[in-house]
Amino acid sequence: MELCLFLGCNTPAIRPDVERAIRASMPELGVDLVDVEGYVCCPAFGAFPSTDDDSYLASSGWNLSIAEAKGLDIMVQCGSCYSSLRMGRDHLSHDEAKLARVNELLELTGRKLECKTKVRHVSEILYNEVGAEKISQTIKKKLTGLHGVVQYPCHTLFPSEIVGFEESPRQPKALRILTEALGATVDTYSRELQCCGGAGGFSKSTPKEATAFVKSKLDAIIEETQADFIVVSCITCLMYLDNIQKKLNEAEGTDKYHIPVFDYNQLLALCMGFDPKQVASICTVPRNSVIDRL
Amino acid sequence: MDFSESDKNLWKAIYNTKDLLHCFNCSTCLSGCPASHGNPPLLVRNLARMVVYGLEDDLLDDDTAWACVSCSRCEEMCPMDVKPFEMILSIRKWQSANDETRVPPSIVEIYKRGYTQSVGTNTELRESLGLPELPTITKMPEMLKLYQEMLMKTPVVSENDYMFSEE
Amino acid sequence: MAEKKPTGTILVAGAGVSGIKAAIELAEIGYKVLLTDASPQIGGILAKLDNQFPTDHCGMCRMLPMVGREYASQYCMRKGLYHENIEILPFTQVKSVEGDAGNFTIELLQKARYIDTDKCNGLGECISVCPVEVADEFNHSLTQRKAVYKPVPHSTPQMLLVDMDACTRCGACVDVCPTNVINLDAQDESSTRKVHAVILASGVKLYNLREFEDAKSWAVSKDVVSSLAFERIISGTGTFDGSIKRPSDGKTAKRLAWIQCMGSRNKRQNRDYCSSICCMFALKEAVLAKEKGGDDVETTIFYMDMRTFGKDFYRYYERAVEIGVKFVRCRVQGVMLKPDTTLSMRYFDSQTEAFIEADYDMVVLATGQIPYETHKGLADLLHIKVNGQGLLPTQTYDKVKLTKPGVFVCGSLMGLTDLSEAMSSGIAAAGQASRLLSDLDVTIIEEEEIPEPRSQDRQTPLVSVVLCKCSDKVEKSSVDFAALEGGLKKLNSVGEVNIIDMVCSDEGKETVLELLKKSDCNRLIIGACHPFIYRNALKNLAKKAGFAASLFEIIDLSSIVHKGFFEPKKDEGVKDQTREAYNELFAIIENLKLKPALHVQTLPINQTALVVGAGIAGMHASFSLAQRGVDVHLIERSDKLGGYAGRHVNHTIDDLEPVSMAKDLMIKILEHKNITLHKNCEVTATQGSLGAFETKIKDNENQENIYLQHGAAIIATGGVEGKTAEYEYGNSDFVLTQAQLKTGLDTGQIDVSEAENIVMIQCVGSREKQDGEKQSREYCSRICCIGAIANALTLRQKNPEARIFILYRDMMTYGFAEQYYTQAREEGIIFVSYTLDTKPRVELSEGKPVLTFLEPVLNSEIEIPADFLILSTGVDAETSNRDIGNAFSLPVNEDGFFVEADSKWRPVEFMKVGLYVAGTAHSPMTLKDAILQAEAAAQKTYAYLSGRKIHTAHAISRVHDAICVRCQRCVDICPYGARSHDEVLDRIIVDGPTCQACGMCGVACQNNAAEIMGFSDKQIMAVIDAKMSKNTMGFAAQ
Repeated sequence: MELCLFLGCNTPAIRPDVERAIRASMPELGVDLVDVEGYVCCPAFGAFPSTDDDSYLASSGWNLSIAEAKGLDIMVQCGSCYSSLRMGRDHLSHDEAKLARVNELLELTGRKLECKTKVRHVSEILYNEVGAEKISQTIKKKLTGLHGVVQYPCHTLFPSEIVGFEESPRQPKALRILTEALGATVDTYSRELQCCGGAGGFSKSTPKEATAFVKSKLDAIIEETQADFIVVSCITCLMYLDNIQKKLNEAEGTDKYHIPVFDYNQLLALCMGFDPKQVASICTVPRNSVIDRL
Repeated sequence: MDFSESDKNLWKAIYNTKDLLHCFNCSTCLSGCPASHGNPPLLVRNLARMVVYGLEDDLLDDDTAWACVSCSRCEEMCPMDVKPFEMILSIRKWQSANDETRVPPSIVEIYKRGYTQSVGTNTELRESLGLPELPTITKMPEMLKLYQEMLMKTPVVSENDYMFSEE
Repeated sequence: MAEKKPTGTILVAGAGVSGIKAAIELAEIGYKVLLTDASPQIGGILAKLDNQFPTDHCGMCRMLPMVGREYASQYCMRKGLYHENIEILPFTQVKSVEGDAGNFTIELLQKARYIDTDKCNGLGECISVCPVEVADEFNHSLTQRKAVYKPVPHSTPQMLLVDMDACTRCGACVDVCPTNVINLDAQDESSTRKVHAVILASGVKLYNLREFEDAKSWAVSKDVVSSLAFERIISGTGTFDGSIKRPSDGKTAKRLAWIQCMGSRNKRQNRDYCSSICCMFALKEAVLAKEKGGDDVETTIFYMDMRTFGKDFYRYYERAVEIGVKFVRCRVQGVMLKPDTTLSMRYFDSQTEAFIEADYDMVVLATGQIPYETHKGLADLLHIKVNGQGLLPTQTYDKVKLTKPGVFVCGSLMGLTDLSEAMSSGIAAAGQASRLLSDLDVTIIEEEEIPEPRSQDRQTPLVSVVLCKCSDKVEKSSVDFAALEGGLKKLNSVGEVNIIDMVCSDEGKETVLELLKKSDCNRLIIGACHPFIYRNALKNLAKKAGFAASLFEIIDLSSIVHKGFFEPKKDEGVKDQTREAYNELFAIIENLKLKPALHVQTLPINQTALVVGAGIAGMHASFSLAQRGVDVHLIERSDKLGGYAGRHVNHTIDDLEPVSMAKDLMIKILEHKNITLHKNCEVTATQGSLGAFETKIKDNENQENIYLQHGAAIIATGGVEGKTAEYEYGNSDFVLTQAQLKTGLDTGQIDVSEAENIVMIQCVGSREKQDGEKQSREYCSRICCIGAIANALTLRQKNPEARIFILYRDMMTYGFAEQYYTQAREEGIIFVSYTLDTKPRVELSEGKPVLTFLEPVLNSEIEIPADFLILSTGVDAETSNRDIGNAFSLPVNEDGFFVEADSKWRPVEFMKVGLYVAGTAHSPMTLKDAILQAEAAAQKTYAYLSGRKIHTAHAISRVHDAICVRCQRCVDICPYGARSHDEVLDRIIVDGPTCQACGMCGVACQNNAAEIMGFSDKQIMAVIDAKMSKNTMGFAAQ
């Protein structure tokens, strides 16, 4: 299948190794990614969605219309981009007045939107379109013997009627099944469904409390599981959970927090035999403990 | 609290939907909210109440809506389908419209380069990873201009056009 | 002695408690009932509940007949039900209903049990050998059961069945079955029956934690259970012998939390209704947990509104608070399972304005009723359409009457009902069915002549013993029948011993009858297996043969030997078993020898009813009785009919029109030949008992006394709007009661078009502890929240711009009324909760009220100048209730409402048989509920007034006046109120129909002056002597 890749900003700018992992792994599974010209910010919830509907939905519509012109659906990895695009699309496809207004605005730029293009998350494509079985058949190396924990991106769960694809948003399982398909053992723990806390203003406006919040999660992982790694499928989760560990160690004067964090596609690409230097090189917590055991 | 100053129709200006009015203060939104761990905490239920009462000044001063992590747990769990995340965005919109200092600087970045940050300029790093050059809008001035023209027709940009002017 | 009796057959589909109640009511009058249930057992949800609010005990037996108790086999109702007029068909589905009222043809499908339960001895050999284990749904999968199993562990007889879905057909059970009753190839059986009417009572589905998405946040551990599963945990017959332990590890649970509104009050999940029962359910469970688990048990209820709206509910809540149940007003998103297996919840504590993460050992989810699920299917069955809400369409004012003639509905199927409403509706549905059959004139003449029992006077007791050898079981039996027969024959008091085959068969009965007709004996024992099933058939047989009912014993042979009479013979123990059987029979014979011949009291029935109060409930009950041919005296104190609602309430929120409805009813009342109306009259005194009351009424207009004879009475005195002096009421024209506002709006005298702020305060003078001088309504008046919403919506229509506040404590919009609460918020009405500690304050400024109250969400004080302040002052009991209570010797509670016999199981009856209560005389209630109770009270009355006479039971208590010191201990202790002290005669009087022969008076009496006839000390001593006699029957002692 062919999908328009929507990268957002963080992935190509700060963590391009994740982009590389996605570009490397997806075609191996029969998902061809098409690059298109002219995307703008998804837009981030803290930007236009916090100012007015026109600027929010016009930006959503701009992005959607680009893929629509290609006749393709959009695939996103970043949780916020995914949620913003899905919600924007939801407004436009359920509210004729809003769609008309956006088309009025788009018309100035020579664009048009019918809202045909769907927005899909990479983990959903892997889970529903590719399937765990095909993944385990395709990979060359396995994570056998390694324990992982999963961090579900909130933005792919809630509100389920707009962004969801899990059978039960309260008991998600896609990322677990996908990780198990790579041969890893996935441990559960009490705070598995707790948000990483990295998105929005929370971690910026009250960093002390946000750090305590994510610390409770990391402590639970350390105390309750044998996790060798954390697997995520959202660029914010990845960056936040990875970077915060160093800060925690510094603040507490320990080296307690050293669980490598991977985007799912990074693990997938590694299992497919791609070069770790290309697909999993940018991190704060070193990933050798996992990569060396592959 | 002086009620004579409150605007009973404020909710219509902020979040004009029956969804909001359905709220019965059950506190479901609070118990799982990540930003409720903040200091001051984001108390979604309280914001809803302030909107319903029309406490304009208090609401204009309240920063907590911006602490929301947009996880939308509250939307999923709210038994009355108030769509609290939508409400939070609406409060931010209203604050932005009524207090220019609330307008997020990130929109200026988006206006100027399509993104909140510089995308596609890390060519060297990308090359080392075997990645292609990205066809970002930042590198396509004509297309960016069209996007800017479109944004200029939207309220937040047109009303605050000084923020977007070329220096 | 022929008598006209009603007859006809009614299908009651659903054998939960409301269906059972309807069936018993109908059976008691003489109708035949087919009682089906789709499940393999009867009893519905209540079979699982050991304890019911407010007594915290089981009281299921209280739904059994009082006067006709000897017609039903009176057992523990949780074990089973036996009535000669009720044919019980468990595991039976109704496949089709064709035809019309009075002439329905129904097709039934009885599912195969694979076990012939008539012949099964219930000992469960098969269960012990069955190799298959599956989750036991009776204990909510907290325990395992076999593929062959007892669906209800405590039912009698044990109605075993094979779960064919789980069965591996290994055949082990078939091989081991001693009675050879297992047939794994059995087929479902269809049958077609004719019935005159249909009552649907198939109950309600409960919210299932496994089924619904919103429960998944909670499904993290076995220690998160539904409230019904928790019932099984605290049940003595449940999973842990009644101690509170965690299903996951069996460890004692000390920290318990209840989560309310699970699966209800959830618009997002399309369940915008309140399940009505869960608040009390949780309260009861929390109280029980404290009582059973000890003082160190911590119980917390997470709630939004504690809906303690029913009679005595609020006092129960106060009790829960007193014993330390903690209440947290917060809905929680979910629970987290910690690695040490405790359950952690984070909630916002509004009082401290802080988030708290608290740990619990167990979490109980108050899983509610789901009202809609089965209605569509039932509507299809009846060839009708569901209404807009997706429910079976009922008549506007009669909740139990479907729009389709001849079909009635009761219990939770009606919507969201509690136990007492299930009872009232069961009775009311039976009543409506009986009205229908009465209209159709379905009656027959009972002609069978029963001979007078042979004379016993001065005759030496001589016992005839009939033992059933139960086919070939005797051959295998471990009891030596021949030796037993020989041993019994040696007794002087035994005239004959007959060993009969299959007493349960028609042939067997015929043989016994012939034998007995020739008998010289005057007392009789029939021993057979499980005789309670056909107790009445055997009774009638003895009667026909001329034996007095009191000199006749039926014994269950299978239970007199503790290992089982028909236990297969083993080499060892024949002598012991035979001796044991002999000793049992010997003791029974010794007792029977000394038994006096008892006679039933035949009470002539004055087939006239007295109804006190001509409000809607009283008028409805009167008309219901009159329509069935009962003469009614309807007493009204004022000169107007209609009561409060019928005169003042034009329109209700659920689109009822009480005033016009009352007008219609008035015309019917005035026109009906069977109804005599006494206006301006008051009851001053009454005497007598069931069938023969005489009541003195004072005609205030003509200043004369009238004496009325009647067989029974219904008290329907109604209520009045509560009074208050709080919140500046009476000091300002702008402080009004809800009724004043409603009247003012209706008449146009109150203009709200210019108003900016209108404030309503709920619970004025209500739900507060009565404290010395301070008079308050220590109860919820039930109708004020809905009434306030109705008025607020009217205000909103008249003034779309005004701010309307409702200051409330707990919104009591239970059941489907929740949607009005939602609608009101949608219309912009602002609801603000307050507590007794944060009551709103009112000051007058230039004659207008200024409100100050604490906004609990924002935790700040708000001051509002109000154009109108409207007070919901609740419902007061009629002041005349106490006088009427005195006149009838009926109890009135501290709030002035009448006290019914049992709040759950006998909601419309008084302890004293023949007196009933309906409507607000009972407690504040909605119009539809009052009509329901009126119908139920009429039905209870009709049950006794339909015949010209009734018979008391044989065994009742009596008083030996000569040795009675009139201490009245027996009067105080009698749980049925059957004993009273007649001050004129200075004697203790026993009301025959009311006495249930429980024996409490005998225990309480210090002089042996209270005696239960047929249970003398002499008899009891004889039984003890016999059992201690160690008769060896000629066997050598071992």
